[in-house]
This record gives sequence, C-alpha cells and structure tokens, in this order.
Amino acid sequence: MVEKTVIEASKSKGLSLRELLQYRDLFVILAWRDLRVRYAQTILGLLWALLQPLVTLLIFIVIFGRALNVETGEIPYPLFALSGMAAWSYFSFVLQQSGSSLINAQEMVKKIYFPRLIIPLSKSVTGFVDLLVTLIFLLILMSYYGFPPGWNLLYFPAALIAVVIVSLGAGIWTSALTIRFRDVQHIIPFIVQVGLYATPIAYPSSLIPEKWLSLYYLNPMTGVVDIFRYSLLGEPVRWELVGISLVAGLIIFITGTIYFKSMEKVISDVV
Amino acid sequence: MSNLALKIEGIGKQYRIGEEKSDTLRGSVSKLKNIFSPNKETFWALKDITMTVDHGSSVGIIGRNGAGKSTLLKIISRITHPSSGRLEIRGRVSSLLEVGTGFHPELTGSENIYLNGTILGMTRKEIKGKYDEIVEFSGVKKFINTPVKHYSSGMKVRLAFSVAAHLEPEILLIDEVLAVGDSEFQKKCLQKMEDASTSGRTVVFVSHNLAAIRSFCTKTALLDYGELKFYGDTGEAIDQYLNLGSMEEDLAAVERRSGTGALKFTAAEFLSESYQPLGAIQSGHHIRVRLRYSSTRPLKDVVVRLQVVTMEGYILFTCNNYHSGDTFDVPAGEGHFDCRIPDLPLNTGRYVLNLQCLSEREVMDEVEYISPFHVEAGNFYSTGKLPSVKQGVLIKHEWTANE
Repeated sequence: MVEKTVIEASKSKGLSLRELLQYRDLFVILAWRDLRVRYAQTILGLLWALLQPLVTLLIFIVIFGRALNVETGEIPYPLFALSGMAAWSYFSFVLQQSGSSLINAQEMVKKIYFPRLIIPLSKSVTGFVDLLVTLIFLLILMSYYGFPPGWNLLYFPAALIAVVIVSLGAGIWTSALTIRFRDVQHIIPFIVQVGLYATPIAYPSSLIPEKWLSLYYLNPMTGVVDIFRYSLLGEPVRWELVGISLVAGLIIFITGTIYFKSMEKVISDVV
Repeated sequence: MSNLALKIEGIGKQYRIGEEKSDTLRGSVSKLKNIFSPNKETFWALKDITMTVDHGSSVGIIGRNGAGKSTLLKIISRITHPSSGRLEIRGRVSSLLEVGTGFHPELTGSENIYLNGTILGMTRKEIKGKYDEIVEFSGVKKFINTPVKHYSSGMKVRLAFSVAAHLEPEILLIDEVLAVGDSEFQKKCLQKMEDASTSGRTVVFVSHNLAAIRSFCTKTALLDYGELKFYGDTGEAIDQYLNLGSMEEDLAAVERRSGTGALKFTAAEFLSESYQPLGAIQSGHHIRVRLRYSSTRPLKDVVVRLQVVTMEGYILFTCNNYHSGDTFDVPAGEGHFDCRIPDLPLNTGRYVLNLQCLSEREVMDEVEYISPFHVEAGNFYSTGKLPSVKQGVLIKHEWTANE
C-alpha cells in the first residue's frame, strides 16, 4: 500500500510522533555529522568540550569558593560547582546551537522536505557528548575527594530527562523565533550569561531569601540543577520548589513546540 | 483516485513582500511584484492550479522564467506550504532538484553517501544495501575515503548524482534547469527519467528543453504568470508556449542559476553596431549583445560564454572570448561585456540565450534559457531570399558548378 499524504493550505500539520520516528535515521545522522565535523582537524578534539566549563569552574573556585567562601555544606566546593556546570553547559550548548540551527540548515530546508523539528532535536543529542565528558571528569574529581555517589544516582535518568526537556524547550523556541526575528541570535548570549548567575551553579539556592524563592524557581534550570546535585552528590532538595521549575520547563517545552509547528509552514519561505 | 499519483486542487502560493528576510528572495520577490501586482504588498506566484497526474505517467511542466514552475515543484515536494488549495500525494516523492544537499566538505565520500542518502529519505538499511552500486556508479571509488573538500566539482556532482539516482520513489520530480553547467549530468538526468518512466514510476519534469519534453512527456502543463494556461497533449502545450509573447524578464532576479555569484549577469540587451537599442533584430545585421553584470570583487582572467539556443533547446552557436582570444580582467561593481556578432546568422524565429561567466576557471554565474528574443527576416544573402525556418543557421557561402 502506498502512503497517502494530504496537504491543505488552511491546516498546519499537527505534531506527528510517527513521522518523527520515521525520520529517526536523519535525526541520528545529523547529530553524528555535527559531532564529526566539530572536532575534525583539531588537535585536542573532545578535550575542547571540557575546556570551557573547566575554565569557568576555576574562576568559580577562586571567586566563590575561596574569596567569598560560599558555604556548600559537606560537599566540596569544586564538586558542587562542577555538577551544576554540567547541567548548565548542556543547556547553554543546546540553546546556542538551536538558535541558529535552522538558518545554518537553510540549504536543506529550501531543498527537501523533512519534519523541521528534527533540526533542533538533533542538537540535543550532540550536546550529550560534551555532557558525558564533563560527567566523567566529575566522577574522577569525586573519587579524588573521596565522595562516591550514593543510591540517589538512581534519580540521575530523571535529571537527564529534565535537562533535555528544559533545554529542548528553550532551543525549540529560539530556533523558531530566530527565523522571524534575527535579533534573537544576539539575545541568546545574554540569556546564557545572565542565566549562569540566576541559577544556583556557583552558589547554593539557600542564599536566596525565602520570599524570593518561588520566583527564583520559575527559572526551570534552577530545579534541574537541584536534581542533578541530588542524584550525583546527595544534596537535599525541596521538591515543592523543584516542582515549580519543572512545570515552568514543561510549559516552555509545550508552547515552544506549538509555536514551532505554526512557523513550520513558512520556514522555507523565510530563511 | 486509486490510479492517481497526484491530485492538485486549487493550489496557490502567495508571497508576502517585506516579510521575507533573505536578500535574494526579497530581491526576486519585489521584482516579480512589479509584474504581477504593482500596488499590493503580496503577490501570487501560483494561482488556482488544478490538475491530476496519473500513476506511472510522465508529465512535463513548461513556462517562461518566473511562471511558477519551480514553486509548483516545491509545493509537490512539500518544501513549501501552499497558501490555498489542497494536494494529495500517493507514494514517496523525491526530486532531482536536491542533488548534493547536505554534503559536508569535511566528511569523506563514503560518509557523505550515508548523510546525503538519509537526507534524501533513504533509511540506513537501504543505503547499506545499495552502497556498492552507488560507489560503482559514481566512478570515484578510489577517493571514497577522502574528505569531499579535496574532490573536484565534477567528482562531487557525480557522487551526489549517484546517490540521488539510487532513490526509488514512486514519484520523481526533476527540475532540469537546476542541473546547469554539466552537460554530462543533464544527459544522466534524462537517462534517469527514461529509466524511471519505463519502470512505471510517475515523473514530473520541469524543463525549458522542449525537445526533451516532447520525447518524454505524454501530457504537459503550461504555466504563465502563475496560472495554468493549458494542461493536456504535449504537442499542443508546446505550440501554445511558443505563441506566448516575450515577457519582460529581470535577469538579475532569475533564481535558477549556478556559480559562486561573485559576478552575476543582470541584463542582456541587443544593440546595433552603433550601440543604439534595437527595436527589431534582423537576420544579417551586425549586432552587439550587451551583457550587463555586477561583480562583488575584482576578477581576473574572465571568460564569458554566450550561446544562442532554439526554443527546442538546441544550441546553435557559441561565442566565447576564450576562443576569440579577447581576455578580460574586470573591476568590482557594475559593468558590461559587449559581444559583436557581424552578419547575424539567425533565421526568423524565437531564440533564447545561455550565459556563463568564468574567472580563473571557476564558474561565477551560469543562467540558461533567458532573454527570449525574436529575429525577423532580413537580407542576409543580399538576395532578399531566406530558407524556410528550421533549417539551421545561415552562413555566407558561394556556389560554383563545373568550374
């Protein structure tokens, strides 16, 4: 039976998971291409993935850990900061890569059909490699400090799912927005820069006054970072606050997907 | 419906002007706007197209530049969404207008086969099954593990084409003009079309090459100003096409062109020997063809090729400054090349031009089937007589008998 496709001018195509699944090979190969190309002909290769968070980490250790003497309880400061950095680096990678992803793929977008959502989606896979490298480094550091992960590690898959949904949600929003407003490309670095300090990466959220906390946790990455630390380092969390973050993240993800679908019709005309 | 491959009902495509961000698109759109609807902020590149394509048939689409042929193909291939109407597609669609899409210079030939094949809609398994065939067909086996950036452009095209040629869609779309530049490739395109149509696939073929349309397509659609003027018997469609007057064409806005774009042809004008614009072009007159261009940087070693082509797609003659020994270096900015053709050897009829510009052996710009012009009977042989049309070009000659 040949497949039948119906296109109607008045209708936007709904989100079809079946179609996305049909295109899974494309999705995988685009992620693979990004990876393969990113470190081609570099001497340090994958180590570059580690270098950027590492430099930030060093700055944090010097400023927050030593000079300001931020209190992180039993957890050694470098572990505390690096676990937060792992989640944040992934988020900022996906956000930045997705932002320009459709513009960079315009040659493809203008010449063939495929579900456009694949483009930002593939960026979330590419980001995993950097995340993995950072996590391995974190584990090495943990054994150095004699701070082995506990049973909480069972929550780590949940932490991963949370960070993917939040990052993708933001990434899908920016990729679609960039199509209409090129300005968004210039806003993303600000979000990344401000977000780094508006999220408890260099300092614990206990430093935030109680009355501001619910506002603070509207930043979805705040909750995600908490879950990361909870699963990797066993730092206690306040789930009612993390819940706020997760709901915010989910809303961003869902609205982003809806907005993207509404833009999909015109993407090839506008890029 | 069961026997239809495509059912197109009232399809239209409207472009909004001013909203488009892309420079080239905006440029072309605003130019088109002047033609279609001078006072509005939108224009319809396609209007109310209704047609059906039977399963297994070969259908041609013809029309002048800017008539909406490519837009129609883009809608059928689902690249762009129609603004009105409804479209039913039965079967997998793939198109030869997307050759080499997604090729990445840093990846090897082999990696690019997988990448490109997947992008074109093959599964990993399908590619694996056909991999050896694809490599064999491409003729670049020796370099298959070399990054594509080290390939010559010819090798790249061959590799890209062999991937595309191994697709097995139920519906094949071909935009011949996108294959400009490589006659080898064009031949392969036509061969591919023949194979596809004999093996029962549906083929939709956009071309200016009327000879190819005539030989492959049973039915042909004629588009003009975005409207379907005629759909049916190919011979009749071609007759109607040839009877259309010439359209004001903006060469700079023609989208289907190849080359780096460092230099672009912006206009072709026909002048008299004394550089006056010609109202009518006559056989046997000395004329100058002025090709206006705009270049983004100074270019060295510029070679300009002008070909005169019949509406059927046959090249009649070629004027090339490389052969005539006139070499140019051109500065950045606007300028023009003049080609003087003494004793214009064309009989009465309509012709088009193919233009190409090289600099240091690299293609800067190439456009085909542009600037349609009409030649009127003139006194070529100083006898007032001319052969009837379709007897080739006119050349000066003398006869003697038993001398």
